[in-house]
Order: sequence, then structure tokens, then C-alpha cells
Amino acid sequence: MGERTDVLQGTLDMLILKALTPGPMHGWGVSRRIQEASSDVLQVNQGSLYPALHRLQYAGWIESEWGVSEAGRRARFYHLTGPGRRRLEKEKEEWRVYVGAVEAVLHAT
Amino acid sequence: MRALSRIRHLLRNVFAAGAADRELDEEIRHHIALETEEGIRAGLDPGEARRRALLAFGGVARHSEAARDQRGTFLLEELGRDVRLALRGMRRSPSFAAVVILTLALGIGANAAIFSMVDGVLLRPAPFEDPDGLVVVWETDRASGTSHEPASVPDYLDFRRRSETVADLAAILPAERNLGVQGRDPARITVLNATPGTLPMLGVRPLLGRTFAEGDEGAPLALLSEALWRGRFGADPDIAGTSVRVDDVPVTVVGVLSEEADWGIRQILGAADYGRSFADRGASRVDAWLPLNPDPEAFPRQTHPVFLVGRLRAGVEAGAAQNELAAIAADLEETYPENAARGVNVQALREVVVGPVRTPLLLLLAAVGMVLLIACVNVASLLLARGTARSREVAIRSALGGGRARLTRQFLAEGAVYAGVSAAAGVALAVAGIRLLRAAAPADLPAVGRVAIDLRVLAVALAVSALAALLFGLVPAAQAHARDLGERLQGGGERGGTAPRGRRRVRAALVVAELALAVTIATAAGLLVKSFIAVTSVDPGFRAEGVLKAELQLPATRYPRDFSVWPNWPRTLGFNDALLAELSSTPGVQAAALSGPHPLAPGFTNSFLIDGRDPSAPPLPEIPVRPISAGYFVTLGVPVLSGRTFGDDAQPDGPGLAVVNQAAADAFFEGRPVGRRLTFWGSSREIVGVVGNETFHGVDQPAPPAVYVPTTQVPQWNLSVLVRGGDPGALARGVRAAVNGIDPDLAVFGVETLEETLSGSLSRRRFPMLLMTLFAALALTLAIIGVHGVLSYTVEQRRQEMGIRMALGARPRDVIGLVLGEGLRLAALGLALGLLGAWAATRLLAALLFGVQPTDPATFLTVAGLVVAAALAATVAPAVRAARVDPARTLQAQ
Repeated sequence: MGERTDVLQGTLDMLILKALTPGPMHGWGVSRRIQEASSDVLQVNQGSLYPALHRLQYAGWIESEWGVSEAGRRARFYHLTGPGRRRLEKEKEEWRVYVGAVEAVLHAT
Repeated sequence: MRALSRIRHLLRNVFAAGAADRELDEEIRHHIALETEEGIRAGLDPGEARRRALLAFGGVARHSEAARDQRGTFLLEELGRDVRLALRGMRRSPSFAAVVILTLALGIGANAAIFSMVDGVLLRPAPFEDPDGLVVVWETDRASGTSHEPASVPDYLDFRRRSETVADLAAILPAERNLGVQGRDPARITVLNATPGTLPMLGVRPLLGRTFAEGDEGAPLALLSEALWRGRFGADPDIAGTSVRVDDVPVTVVGVLSEEADWGIRQILGAADYGRSFADRGASRVDAWLPLNPDPEAFPRQTHPVFLVGRLRAGVEAGAAQNELAAIAADLEETYPENAARGVNVQALREVVVGPVRTPLLLLLAAVGMVLLIACVNVASLLLARGTARSREVAIRSALGGGRARLTRQFLAEGAVYAGVSAAAGVALAVAGIRLLRAAAPADLPAVGRVAIDLRVLAVALAVSALAALLFGLVPAAQAHARDLGERLQGGGERGGTAPRGRRRVRAALVVAELALAVTIATAAGLLVKSFIAVTSVDPGFRAEGVLKAELQLPATRYPRDFSVWPNWPRTLGFNDALLAELSSTPGVQAAALSGPHPLAPGFTNSFLIDGRDPSAPPLPEIPVRPISAGYFVTLGVPVLSGRTFGDDAQPDGPGLAVVNQAAADAFFEGRPVGRRLTFWGSSREIVGVVGNETFHGVDQPAPPAVYVPTTQVPQWNLSVLVRGGDPGALARGVRAAVNGIDPDLAVFGVETLEETLSGSLSRRRFPMLLMTLFAALALTLAIIGVHGVLSYTVEQRRQEMGIRMALGARPRDVIGLVLGEGLRLAALGLALGLLGAWAATRLLAALLFGVQPTDPATFLTVAGLVVAAALAATVAPAVRAARVDPARTLQAQ
């Protein structure tokens, strides 16, 4: 079932990986980080957040464990794995190439 | 690395799916809580904040589902869910599930059991080396018309020496002996005296110790069977070298043979015309082997005690051996007068052992295969019906986006569950069935001890169920795809359109086929039952009720058998007199007698001459000789038809006396034998009377001619004791007391009432009859369930039509008539086809029948009546339901 998403699926993965670079975070925190870093431009559709998190986990880019949040609640914290870091670099590179290509097309006469 | 992590996740999500679900819920709740707090911090009130949080999240359930979708365990989870759904569905309609599972289980179980039996008995090769090269060499007697006679020892030696086609020839001689072990009661054992080369020729290796070797002929050695070694000697590993007493003679045990060593012996003896020894007594295993010394002095050419088993030379066919040995036999016949009219008959060992049971077993296999067919047809029919009933449900689910693949998977899972449960139940039934078969099978069924459920049969059962799963799964799934969604949703298709009628026709055709098959099996069973009843009502020529039989063997050590002073054997004769005197004074004994073979044992035959007969007339066939004491005819209630019997006038050194039966009188003496004389064993006897015929060759054989001679003049060391009286238990005790009062070391065995002996002699007929009847009952029951199913379906389908009819003035009677009519139509068609099939098929049964033609009209009529009655019974419930159709309700339910 397709859903309206504010962030393209491919880029959401990359943004989540980036959001976890500073350190482990739970799901809500990840969406907050992305929102803040983009100055509220990017609203993570929270319905696609968790599927994305599970997808990334299944692929092995991130791992999770249960911990305790700042508020003292039990929460699942995600963190980047080694392969995840390498994947992030690769996706960044691919994104730059993609953006460059789109710009080139837009600027052609 | 990634693969490992993937596998880890997969495993976790499969085996801890529940836990994973709960954790995800917790995670989501946590997220929503934080979002709510954010909203509260932004100034919203808690309710509004929460509502917004939920909205932003967008439907928790759907996301759980989507998240789960990403977990990669979709397939396995769905399968698990389908299985659980199937189980729930089964719980909801337990009777349907029970019928399907029971039907399949019965079909699979019965087939597995019978096939295991056929496999163990017919298909597995003999446990010998290169068994196809083994043959049995019978002798034949052209004068008596026999073809399965034992051979004489000198003939054996001549064949062995002179034959080129038979590489190795062994001689075996069955007997029964007393086994004495220090400090224990003597036991009666079956013994096979065999030339030392027998076991090496067969390729049998001992479990312990060694087999006999050249030079062991006649030596005081013995080989024990595994069963005897375990049963009587506690599986003593040091048994080799110990000494046991056989008929009071010490012998040394040299080894133990596995239980397969005596394969076929029982069947060889059973096929013989006489000399069957322990085979007639109902024993079927050989307890011990002794080395036979084929001494022509001890066994002169006119006696025929041994059976010959040989191995053909490599590349030689049995036919070539037959020709060669026949030529040698013709040569012997010219040389020796004792061999007049004697020939040979070479038969493959396998044919001897397995031939007699092949037909009945294959018939049983065919019958049980038909039962499986009926079972499968029934189940298919039931599922077709259920598919229709569920088509609405299926349509709704399809419309709601169930997804074809998903639905198909679900139906397949359902079918798999049914098939799996049925297979498990079927295997359990098969194991129980095999145990029952082994217990109930006649003792002379070859290798019945080896029948066990085997892996191939299990594999076949599983394959059948797997196939069933596919079919069950595909039928409703195919139905789900086959027709227009909208039509199904509106239920328009159920209003008696063409598709349901077509389906009804298919089901009806299936049921007719089932009925036809069931009728065929029932007819076969009916014929077998009628044969059995005929056999049991044959008059055996004596009165078995109230007579107890016991058997003794007088060992030569205490009862010398000196043929130079025969028949003057004082110890033996003294024992006979003492025993008879003792028995007649035992309370409860009305009459007592002794005889050689008992009235249901074939005994031995002898060549004889009739005094005053034209010497140039063709030689007479051998005649059964029955040694009896004076009280025999009274004890057994055999009528004296003319003349008298012998009493005290039969003295060992007096004039020879004899009595013949009616068959002998008619065959050899033109009906008037009294006063004439006959000669056998060198002595001439006067015939003093004629008695009624006894069927000592079995009640299903014509009574043979026989001559009865007094035991005082023809003393026996193998004796049967026959007493007529009241309570068999008391009689048995009395007999034992009497015997052991005279000779405490004598073993009394074979103690049973003559009625039990009679019943036992029928076991070969009883077994296939019982099985066939069971299959017929199964088949008919299944077919009737099928009829019931189709009629119920009809009533459902035509419910509205019936409602309309009744609203238009039809009476319930008319509607019932509709249903009955259909039921009778089905029964009539099935009956017609079935009777035709039976007509063709029962010829195959001819060999098994007695006193009944394969096309016996009474049986066919009875089966027809039974089937019609059963079909009528099956129509009752649907007819009643049809009559109860409320026209108003059905018309409203448009």
C-alpha cells in the first residue's frame, strides 16, 4: 500500500543513518533530530519511520537494544554499526552524484 | 556479517514473533507518548495533544502491520497463521473434520497395513543366498495321482549322485521330539533332521557357534532355533558345547540359528501329500535341527520319509532339471520294483512357499485399494460441497482485498493440516492393524513374523496425504477463482444455476462409482462368507463335541521298536492297555480310545494289495492307514454301516483284522468288502466291517478311502488319545494324570477339544473372509456417507425450489418423494454397475470358494438388497430435512 510520504524512501534511510551518527537514539528522537537539523522543513512521516528503522535493522546497518530514556522510560535505542557507517558514506556520495546530475539537467538549455 | 545479522533477525522474528509484536507496540506507544508531551509543552491540552500525536502517527495498526511486513518473516508467519486458522476452522465444524480425517485415516491405514503384509509375505525374497536357484524336488505317484510326495532316501542318494543340473541336493525329514533339560519338564519340540549340507546350500549362517559339516551325519549334535534358545535357554551365550536330551538321548548343541533359517519349511510340508509331521499339528516353526544320516539301510527304498531341496547349477532352468531328474527316475523305476509308478516334480521353492497365498493376498490388496479409492472420492466430494458453502465467504474476502495468492496459500495450508492429521492417524491405524493381522493370521502364512510397517509404506502414506493436501487445497482455491465475484456475492449462483447443477452431477457420478466399488467388494465378501458357512456345516464324519484330544510320543529308549518281532512290542502294547484301562475308570470319561493320527490329521498312506484281485489290473493307489484302538468308533461317534468292528479278537499274534470306510468300500470293493482280504506291510488282513467316512484330509476335501487297523496289531509310537466326556478341563487333567501315572516322563501335548482342532483347521479360510468382510463394511459405510452427502447437498441446493413447490401446493410427501427418488436412482445405478463388475471380477475368487459358484445368485441378490436398504437409510435424514423446509422462509430468503 503506497502512502504519502514527505521524505522519499531512499533518502529517509540515509537521513536516519545520519541522524544516528552522533550517538544512539530512540525512534522519536531520530525523527526529532532530522526535523531540527532541517529546520523543520523535513517532516518525517512517522508512519514510515518505524518500517524504515526495521528495514535498516534487517539490512544490518543499525542495531537496537532496550534501554532507559532520559525521562526514565523503557525505550528501544538504535545505533549505527560499522557497515552502517560505511553505507552512509556511500549513500552520501550517491546523493551528491544524483543531485549534480539533476542540477546539470535543470541548467542545460 | 550482514547475512548473520539477517539470520539472527529472521530466527528471532519467527520464534519470538509474539514478543517482537509486543516490543513494537511498546516502542510505538513510547513514541506517541513523547509526541504527546511535546504537544503539551507547546501548549495544547493533553487530550488534544494526544489526538494530534495519534493523527501524526497515522493509524497505529497499519504501521504495525507495515513494520512487520519489513521484518522479512512474512511467509513463515502467514503460514503459521493459516495453520492456526485451519485448526480453528476444524474446531468450528468438528463433524466435517472428523469425517474427512477418519475417512482418509481408514483408507491410508488399511492400505498401509495390507501392503506391509503383502510385502513381507509375497514380495520380499527368501532370506537365503540366491534364492531363485532353489527348488523342491517332489516325487510323484502316477497310480495315486499325487505330485507332491516325499522321496525315498536311496532315490535321494541316486539323484544327488547322478544329477548334473542340480548342483546340490539336501534331504530334510520333519519330526517331533521331547526335549529334556536337567531338572525341568520335558517340552515338545519340532525337529528337522537335515543332511549336513542343507544350511550351507541355503546360505544360512549361524547366530552362534557353527552349523553342521560333512561327517556330522547322524552324530548326536543339534542346532537350536533362536526362539528356542531365547525361550528355553535364556539366550545363554555359552550354549555351544552344552548337552541336552532329545527323546532321552543326549546331544551336544553346536550352535544357534536365526529365526529366518526355517523360512519355507512349514509351507513345503503343508504342500506335501503326506508326511507333513508337525505341520499338521499346527506348529509352524522349526525348534531344532539334527543332522540326518541318509542311510539306505535305515530308510529302504519303499519308504518315503524325506523332502528334497536343491540348488540348480548356475544358468540351469528348473525345466531342464525336471527333464533330467525325470529321466533318472524312469531309470530307477525300471531298476527297482519299489519305484513302480514313481516320477519327479521339480518346483521352484518360491512357488511352493508363496504360490498358495498369492491369490488371496492380491485379492485383499485389490479390495483395500478400492476402499482407499472410495475414501478419496468421498473426501473429494465432501470438499466440493464445502467449497460451495464457503464460496460466499471466499468472495467477500476476495472483494476485501484478500489477495488470490494469500487465499490459495490458506486453502493449501488447510489441506495440508487435514492431510497431516489424517496421515498421522492413518499410520497409527496401520501399526495397530499390522499387529492385529499378525495375531489373527493363520500360522502357516509364510514369514508372517517378518511383517512390520516399513519405511516404503510410510513413504507411500505420506505421499498419498501430500497429494491429498494439494488436491484439497486446490479445489476450493480453484473454485474461488473460477467464477464471477459479483455473482457469488449476491448468492445468485446458488439459485440453482448451471454451475451448481454441474457440480451436483459430478458428485452424483462420484457416488455412483463409490457404490459400484462397494458392491463389488461386498459381493466378494458375501461369497467368501457363504463358503465359510458351507465349510463349517460339512459333517466331518465324527462327532467332535465333547471329545478331547491329547497327543503322546513313546520314545524308543523306553519303548523299544524292534521290527524283527513286530507287532509284538510288549512295552508299547502294555502302555496302551494300561492307559485305556486307566482312562475308562477316570470319572467324567464316557468313552476313550487311542489312535495313530487323530481324526483331523491326514496321517500316512501305504500301498496295498487286495487278495483275489486280478494281478494284471492297474496298480492300486496308496490308501490311508488309520491305526485305532477298539473303542475309537464309539468314542468318536462314527457309525458302523455293515459288519462289525474289532475288539478283543484283535490280538498281536492273532489273525489280521481291518475295517474299511464307505469310500474304500465303494472305490475298491464294489460296495461289499466284508469278508475280503487285503495285504499291506507284508501281512494279510480280513475286512470285518464298514464304517462311515471321516474327513481327515479337511472338511473341504472329499473323504478319502481308508482302512482302519487295530493298534494291538499295528502298534504306534505317535499316539493320539481321544476321550469323550463332560468338562474339557477335567478331562485334560484326567488324561495327564492317567498318562503320568503310568509313565511320569512322558510329555502330553496338543491337548485341545476336537472342536478347537476343527476350528483351527478352518483358519486358512477364515482369515481372508474376515478381512474381506471388514473391507466390505468399510466400503459400504463410506459409500453410504457419500450418498447421504450428495442428497443433503441436493436438498440444500434445491431448497428454494422445494419452498416454491410447497407454496404452490405440493405436499411434504411429494418433496420427500423427490429426495427418495434421487437416492434410489443413485443406488440403482451404483448397484447395476457394481453387480456387473462383480460378475466379471468374482471369477478370480473361484479358487477360494467352497460349495458356492462365483456367480451365486443368492449372494448377488442379498448384496443388492443390502445396498438398497442402506441407500434408503441414507435418504432418511435429507428427506426429513426436505419435508421440513418452510416455504414462507425460503421464499423470503431471496
